[in-house]
This record gives sequence, C-alpha cells and structure tokens, in this order.
Amino acid sequence: MKGTYLGEFEEVVLLAVAMLAGEAYGAAITNEIEQQMARSVNLGAVHAALARLEEKGLLTSRLGGATAERGGRSKRFFSVTMAGIKALDTIREIRNRMWNAIPKPA
Amino acid sequence: MKGESQPPKWATRLLHWFCASHLVNDLEGDLLELFAQRVRKHGLRQARQRYVRDVFSLMRPFAFKKEPERYPKPVFSPPAMIRNYLKIAFRNLAKHKMFSFINVMGLSAGMTACFLIALYVHFELTYDAFNKKADRIYRVATDVQTNSETLRYSISPWAMASNMQNDFPEMEACARVRKEEMLFRKGDLKFVEENAVLADSTLFEVFDFKLLNGNPKTALMTPLSIVLTETSAQKYFGNKDPMGQTLLWGDQGELVTVTGVMQDPPVNSQIKGDMFVSMSTYTAHRDKNIEQEWGSFGATAFVLLKPGTDPATMEKKFPAFLQNHAGKMMAEQQMQIRMLLEPLRDIYLHSTRPADESGNINNVYVFSAVALFIMLIACINFVNLTTARSVERAREVGVRKAVGAARSTLARQFLAESIMMCVIAFLISVILSAALIPLFNELAGKSVSKGIIAELPFVAILLVAALLIGLLAGIYPAFVLSSFEPVKVLKGRFTTSAKGVMLRKGLVTVQFTISITMIIATIVVYTQLDFMRSHDLGFSKNQTLVIQSGVGRERDVFEASIMDLAGVRSATASAAVPGGLNPQAFSKLENKRGEMQAANLDVYRVDFDFITQYGLKIVAGRSFSKKFATDSTRALVINEAAAKMLGYATPGEAVGKQFDQWDRQGTIIGVVKNFHFKSLQENIKPLTFRLIDFWNGKLLSVQVDGKNVKQTLSAIENKWRTMHPDQPFSYYFLDEFYDRQYRADERFEALFLNFAVLAIFISCLGLLGLASYSTVQRTKEIGVRKVMGASAASIVTLLSGDFLQLIGIAFIIAAPLAWFAMDRWLDSFAYKTDIHLWTFIVAALLSALVALLTISFQSIRAALINPVKSLRSE
Repeated sequence: MKGTYLGEFEEVVLLAVAMLAGEAYGAAITNEIEQQMARSVNLGAVHAALARLEEKGLLTSRLGGATAERGGRSKRFFSVTMAGIKALDTIREIRNRMWNAIPKPA
Repeated sequence: MKGESQPPKWATRLLHWFCASHLVNDLEGDLLELFAQRVRKHGLRQARQRYVRDVFSLMRPFAFKKEPERYPKPVFSPPAMIRNYLKIAFRNLAKHKMFSFINVMGLSAGMTACFLIALYVHFELTYDAFNKKADRIYRVATDVQTNSETLRYSISPWAMASNMQNDFPEMEACARVRKEEMLFRKGDLKFVEENAVLADSTLFEVFDFKLLNGNPKTALMTPLSIVLTETSAQKYFGNKDPMGQTLLWGDQGELVTVTGVMQDPPVNSQIKGDMFVSMSTYTAHRDKNIEQEWGSFGATAFVLLKPGTDPATMEKKFPAFLQNHAGKMMAEQQMQIRMLLEPLRDIYLHSTRPADESGNINNVYVFSAVALFIMLIACINFVNLTTARSVERAREVGVRKAVGAARSTLARQFLAESIMMCVIAFLISVILSAALIPLFNELAGKSVSKGIIAELPFVAILLVAALLIGLLAGIYPAFVLSSFEPVKVLKGRFTTSAKGVMLRKGLVTVQFTISITMIIATIVVYTQLDFMRSHDLGFSKNQTLVIQSGVGRERDVFEASIMDLAGVRSATASAAVPGGLNPQAFSKLENKRGEMQAANLDVYRVDFDFITQYGLKIVAGRSFSKKFATDSTRALVINEAAAKMLGYATPGEAVGKQFDQWDRQGTIIGVVKNFHFKSLQENIKPLTFRLIDFWNGKLLSVQVDGKNVKQTLSAIENKWRTMHPDQPFSYYFLDEFYDRQYRADERFEALFLNFAVLAIFISCLGLLGLASYSTVQRTKEIGVRKVMGASAASIVTLLSGDFLQLIGIAFIIAAPLAWFAMDRWLDSFAYKTDIHLWTFIVAALLSALVALLTISFQSIRAALINPVKSLRSE
C-alpha cells in the first residue's frame, strides 16, 4: 500500500464521496465537486483520484444500477472505508489544531 | 436519445481504444450522463467540447491498466506462445540440418567477412585520428616547377620552418621530421635502425605522442639527444632506466644522450619511429648552414594552426612569403616553389605525394563494396532458402491458421525465427572473427586489430546489424509464408507461385553476377602482378647481393677482399640501386636548341663497372671508363628518357652535349637504354649517371654465382666481420628488394582472392540448397521420366540446365561490369597488361564448373534413385 498522504484534490474527492453517502459514482462526484467548489472539473482527474484512493485503501467500489441516461451502462459506486474515515478525521484534527494555534488578534 | 444531441463518435472510439476493458463501461456511463446533463444546462456545443476534454483527461495510467488476473494464465498467453515458436524453430533447425547448416554457415561467413573488412576500413579511415588536434595540423607540401617538369614533394626547404615561425602569427607550432637509416651502437649491440627519425623539439606539441619519461618541451631540444620508444628502450637497455644513458650514433660514433622514453606510436600514425633524434643534431651540429638553405629539401614539415585559422587564407600568403625569402634563389636556379597545406587526416588516404606509408581511398571503397556484396549474397541465400522451403511449412501454416492464428502472429513467428538464425550466425561469426584476426592482420600486412576484445564496440554494432539482417531477410519469407490460404494448403493443392520462382532465379543471378565479377577481377589483378614480376626491366636483378659497405677506401678495401672469394663474380659500388631511393639534382643540360635546360633529374652515382654489371645497354656513346681521366669529374651518362626530354630525336644526338650538375660541368658521354629503376607503376623518368665521389656510394652490389649462394654469403660475411667488428653486416637481395615495391599490390591480390573465394563459396552454398530443394520437389517427375525410359545423363542435364542458364545470364551481366572496373584499376599502372579474352573464358568456365559440381551432387543422386522408390513415396 502506498503512503496515506492525501493530496488536496484527493481530499476533496474523498470528502465528496463521504458527502454523497452511498450514491457516489463518477458523474455524481464530478457534479458535486463542481457545485461545491464552483469550478469545472475534468472527469479524468476525478477518476484518477478515485483510482488512487482505492489503491490506498481509503475507498471501496462496487458495480451497480444502470440508468437510461447513461446509455444503460452500470455505475461504479464508491464508499469510504474505515481507513478513509480515519484519514479524514486525522486531517481535520490537524487543521483544527493549526487553526487553534493561530494567535488571536488581541 | 436524439441523433443530433450525441457526443462526438470519434471521441468515444478513442476511449474504447485506449481504455482497459474492465473500466470502459463505467467510464463511458459517466461520460454519457455528464453529457446529457450538460446539454440541458449549457447547450450541445459546450457539452460536446466538455465530452472531448473529459475523454482526453481520462488518458491516464490508471485507465490503461489491465484488470488483475483472477485465474491462472490461459494456455495461449504470450510467453507460452513464444516458447512454442522457439520450440518449432529449433525443431525446424534440427529437422533440416542441411538447410540450417547452409543458412547459418553462409550468414556467419558473410558476417565474418563484413566484420573483418569493417575493421580494416575503420583502421584506414582513422589514420592519424588519435591526434586530438588533427583538424588543425597540416603538412606543408611543395611543388617545384622547372622548365622541364613539376616535382611534387612532401618535403619542404630547410629554411622554411624558422621563417614561417616569424612570418605567420596564425601558426602555433611547426614540427619537422625526417626519416633516416641510422647506425646505433651500445656495447656489443649494434643495429642499423631503419625507423630512426630526426624530429624538432615541437614534436610533442603538435602530435599526441605520450612521453612516459622526460620533459616533452625540452626532450628534443639540444643536439645529440634522443627519445626512445618503449620497445627500443627495451632493446638497448633491457629493464634498466635508460634516462641519461648514452648510445653511439652514426658511423663516427658520436655520443647521444637519452632524454626521454615515449609510448610506441600508434599503428595508424603516419609518423612512426623507434628512435627520435633531435633535429638540432642535424641542423646545428652536422650541417650548420642547412637552416638557411631554400634550395635544399629534406624534412617533412607539419604545422599546427591556431584554432579558427582558415588554411585557404593562409595559403594565399605563401607566394609572397616565398618571393620575399627565396625569390633570388628561385630566379637563379630557374625554378618556382609553390607551398600548399594538406590536412593531416587526408594525407594517408588521399595524398599522392611520396610517403613511407600510404593508403588508397579506392581500396577502401573497393573493400567496402566487397563487404556489402558478400553480405548481400549471404542475405540472398537466406531469403532464397527460406522461401523455397515455404512449401514444406505450408501445412504448418495451414494448421496454425485453421486453429486461429492471425496473419500478423504468423509473420511475427517467422520473423522471430529468422532473427534467431541471425543471432546464431552472429555468435559463430564472433568466434570466427576472433580466430581470424591474427591471420587477417598478416594478410593486410598491418596490425589492423589487436584482437576481438579490443573491438567490443564493433561486436555490438555487428549484433545490431545481425538483428537488422534477420529482420530484413526475414520480412519477405514471413510475408509469403503467412499469406497462404489454409483451405488450399490443407487440401494439398499447393504449388510455389511463378512469382516466387522468378524472384529466386533473379536473386541467384545477382549472386553469381557478383561472384563472377570478383573472379574476373582477381584474375586481372593476378595477371597484372605476374606481368610486373616477369616484365623485362632492362637490367638484371638476379643473384645480386646489395651490401651496405660504407664509403671511400674502406669500401674499396672490402670490395677487393671479397673479389677473390669463390662464387663472387663481380662487384660494383653505387649510391642507389633500382627499386630504392635515389636523390634528385638540379641540373642544366644542353637541349636540341642549344640552350641549357634546367631540370630536377634523378641521379645515380655509380662506380665504373655499374652499368656493365647491371646489364644496362649503351645505345649511343660510351660508358664510364677508367681510360679517361676526366670521367670522374666531367662525364655524365643519361638514359633515353632524358635524351627525349631534351628534344633529341635519336640518343646519338645527345652525346657530346654540355651539362652542369652539382658542381660538375662537362659533356654527356653516353646514353643508356631505358630501364625500370622505379616500379612499373611509374613511367621511366629521365635519369643521369655520374661517377661516385669518395664520400658516397655506400651500396656494394655483388653479383654471385647461382650455385652455393649460401656459402658465398657466409664467406662474405666473415670477411666483413674481420674488417668491421663494430658494424653490423646488413645486406639484401636485389630481386626481393625490387619486388618489395609490389607488396601492397600483392596484399590487395591476396585479400581480393580470399574474398572472391568466399563470395563463390557462399553463392554455391545457396545454389546447393536450392538445387537439393528443387530435386526433392521433382522426385516424382524424375521417377516418371525414368520409367518412361529417360537415361540418368538426360536427367542430370535436365536438372542442371536451369541453373546453368542462370549462371550464363549472370556472366553476361558480370563481364562488362568487371571489364569496366578493372580497366579503371589498371589505369593506375604505367605499364600494364591488357585484359585478355581468356580471363573471361576462364571465369565463365570456372563458375560454371563450380556450380555444376555443386548441383551434380544432388542431381546425380536424384537421377540414380530407383523410380519405384520415388513413385511410391506418396
């Protein structure tokens, strides 16, 4: 397994998967990120991040239901693993600690 | 979904092309879903753009990855297939031992020839290249023009170097060298060193010779200093340190001090020497005024120009420079000197000026062509034999195709086989080359290579070449073999196409064209050499011993002492003998119009009976005679060529005319018939004879009896040893010495002969393969013919006829080609044979005979076989 260091975009993708809670697949994640961050995102970038996260063991995937809109092609649903949740927690903790450490203007 | 609102099809196709199959479904789903949403939100145009962008953004490593294997590898996975190919290839090799042997032998013979020739060509092309500053080093050559002729020298006037140093700031350094025979002594050791060189102290500045011991700046500065090579240091001093030691130099035995030891010069260096004596020994010690002489030529000057100097601009300044320094002298002596710069790297191969060693760019071209042709012949064999055998493998191809092999897979299989064959040939050829290098060095007459270990880059190149040959030679057979239609092949209705047969015949013709050309060339080279060896030279060179006997009284005493030995017929002294070097003298001779015509003429300084002993014919006037007291200072004998140069219609007219040469004035007393005092490559030049002075004429030609030459020789040697215990007895036989001039041509002949034989051999290997194949193909036909009453002889004729026809065509193409090439080669000789008709007849008969012998082995066997057997063979 590769190191569990998370890149910025990887973190965003991981958060998006967590947010979508069981309804996370390529197109949906892309839409979610575009809305949240108000910028256009390439599908390729998203999938590359998903593949890396899965390799790191932070995500799992399963194939699931197809819709007409997708030309009858199945979706790959992603969900966050325990390791993924833990990684998110750690990041948040570090961020909080650092936020708290900023001296307040007196 | 409506037609117009669809994403670009090509992008989808692209996705399917690069994307791993287990991912493509899901990804395409995402793409389509996003596309549909974007059409609604942003419109079709933007949606399509985003679609394309997304497809391109998916071109990442994760998308190319194959799905991890869930089951053990299936039977037809690539490694197993390759193993199968290899197995089949080896089985094929083993099953058809004859074919495989012929194929691999031919290829490796061709490769070996190519490899060796490549070494040779590389050696020749990199002459002097070890000098890092080679591109800035030039030789200053001179042309000396008199009323009579232009002499093209590689040497230059003695006064030139020091004056150039002052006048040309663009010159960094100038080093002069002069090769001379010198006598060296140390205790009991005494050697006449043929490779002794006088060299300026700048030698190590201009050339990259490595001085192992001593200071390169000063080693050759002072008179009487000497730099030894490692080899010569070993020779004189053994393992002792030679630095500061002394040797006795020259006939007078002056002391020279060793001031340096250098690495032996590389084999392909123009300046070769075993002993380097400082030039100042000559210019400041032996001949003090020589540095001021413009009219005296002696040393070869090499100049090192500063970086960025244009030699052409420098050459433009030469006429003014010469006029400035030597103008008066040139006017007095009625001659014009012209100086020119020759780039160091071009001298060896391109310069036609006199040199110790010179290569010939034409030989390089000829041998490169020979190497290519031999390789071509070998490759043709390969293609021919492989395609010819295709019939036997047709079933295999059919079965493989029926089972599902794609055409590309089959082509790959056959390519791999041919590459494998080439690699085997490569391995054999490396071993062969390693074994042959010493022999080849001997054949080429120079140490072209130290051994295979020193040539690893070449081995690597050969490997690449082998792979390439495998690929190229394999392409056609692979293409043909993989194109068989399985249905036809498996039904057995398969015959070789007419096109394939034509191609094979064409290729055989090409092979034999090359071989026959080479045979004719070899015969012509041989006849020319034979012609030169047996040509009447105009003097007798047999049973003549030439001894380096010293000069003056010393020599006279020695000459007198050997005259009464049994077996010595006569002896005569001279300063030069035919086939060797002789000086040229600035001379003025009275010509037909009564003027004193100036010319630089070859000079033979000879004793009274030289002309008689050498069997030269006097055609007008008389020879030197002791009866005329004035002969020793006022007489000159010239040859017919000189008389002709002076404009006299008959030699008789020249007798009694005036001459002025090297401090002697007088009359021409006689004219000798032209004789070849130089090799037959040159025309006979005007020559003058004068009697020797007491300080020259150190060669004693002794005519001995044909019987007991050995005894006579040892008797002479004994005399020498008792009279000159301190000097070595050095001698040579005139005929060998004279023929030494043809050594380069003899080597050319030997190399050519070897490669011609090789070419024929490889061609015959191919022919053998094809013949045996075609007889096997026609087994049944032969059986039927025999049953119907054909005789064995008629069948042999039938089988051989086809091939002989090809050889006939090859001959028709080869004959004019060879004639043209060899006519040009012969042009480089002043005296040459004609190309005789019999040459072509012999070549034709020889090639036909060799081919017939090759074929007959197969065809006779086929003709004698019992028809019952061949007809039952179904």
